[in-house]
Amino acid sequence: MFIQFQEKASKTLGQHFLQSVWQCAAMFTLAVFLGISINQFRVSRLPLIEDWSMEALLKSPSGDRLDISLVEAKNLFFQKAAIMIDARPNDDYEKGHIRGARSLPWHEVDQRFMEVTKDISVNTPIITYCDGKTCRLSHDLANFILDMGFTNVKILVNGWTKWQNADLPVDKNGSN
Amino acid sequence: MPKKRKHLSRVFYHGVRLILGVIFIYASYDKILHPKAFAEVVYNYQILPDGLINVTAIVLPWLEMLMGIFLIMGFWMPGTVIWCNTLLVVYIGALCFNLARGLDVNCGCFSTTKGSTISIETILWDVAFLALSVYLLFFVFFKRTSGNKRSV
Repeated sequence: MFIQFQEKASKTLGQHFLQSVWQCAAMFTLAVFLGISINQFRVSRLPLIEDWSMEALLKSPSGDRLDISLVEAKNLFFQKAAIMIDARPNDDYEKGHIRGARSLPWHEVDQRFMEVTKDISVNTPIITYCDGKTCRLSHDLANFILDMGFTNVKILVNGWTKWQNADLPVDKNGSN
Repeated sequence: MPKKRKHLSRVFYHGVRLILGVIFIYASYDKILHPKAFAEVVYNYQILPDGLINVTAIVLPWLEMLMGIFLIMGFWMPGTVIWCNTLLVVYIGALCFNLARGLDVNCGCFSTTKGSTISIETILWDVAFLALSVYLLFFVFFKRTSGNKRSV
């Protein structure tokens, strides 16, 4: 059933070590060859080098910028002209969130999207946020909401930290 | 070493070899099919420089696949167990690092789909796999150099 390769008896540890070095190199070379050559023939080929900067990532599929500044987000908040949606896990939301923000954790988006957005019209400005300059939760959530037909979705990058640092209204542990 | 113990030892070695082989093939399958999604997982770990993300996403799943196949075949075992141990140590290190940083990211251990976030459970599973892998390392490098002329 299994192909077995006979090893010579009584190899020294040094011989095994040398053998493992060239075998490791050969396996790595083979993996590189297979990965790159098969990638070349893919329909959706992945470029070997890609721009992973935040600016490049924060674009909608149509190429429009998705990020919003803190000043713009603050203005919309005080005008009550936008819905803030927190993309972080529920535990983080419970510890503290932007005042009035709705919780829609990215990892529960399939289960909770309809419940959270049922009373929001498709043209209503929505601002998603999470925490950390490189947090992707708000970006993934924003793209999902756009895919579901909403037309005016923005991302406040590192929103939770920026909002607190600017002493803007928050709700923490159930208190204001 | 009594005959029965030697036999059990060989059976255990082959069993561990096959189990780890299947695990690595299973772990690599989805990543090979969805390199873009896996690249996002690699990006989210925030460890590699941007220039290495896509190359890693393209090459690493194939390395896992080769390791899995070679473990099942018992082919190039010294090199295979070295890679096995190396990758598992790297994975555990990356998981611990990001858990300590509080990063809530997709593990990417067996799948590129969302939902499998980093947790202590993930790390413990990898530690268990590492224990099996260390056993294979010991068997391949030490037991087989002890003068045992029988094939494994």
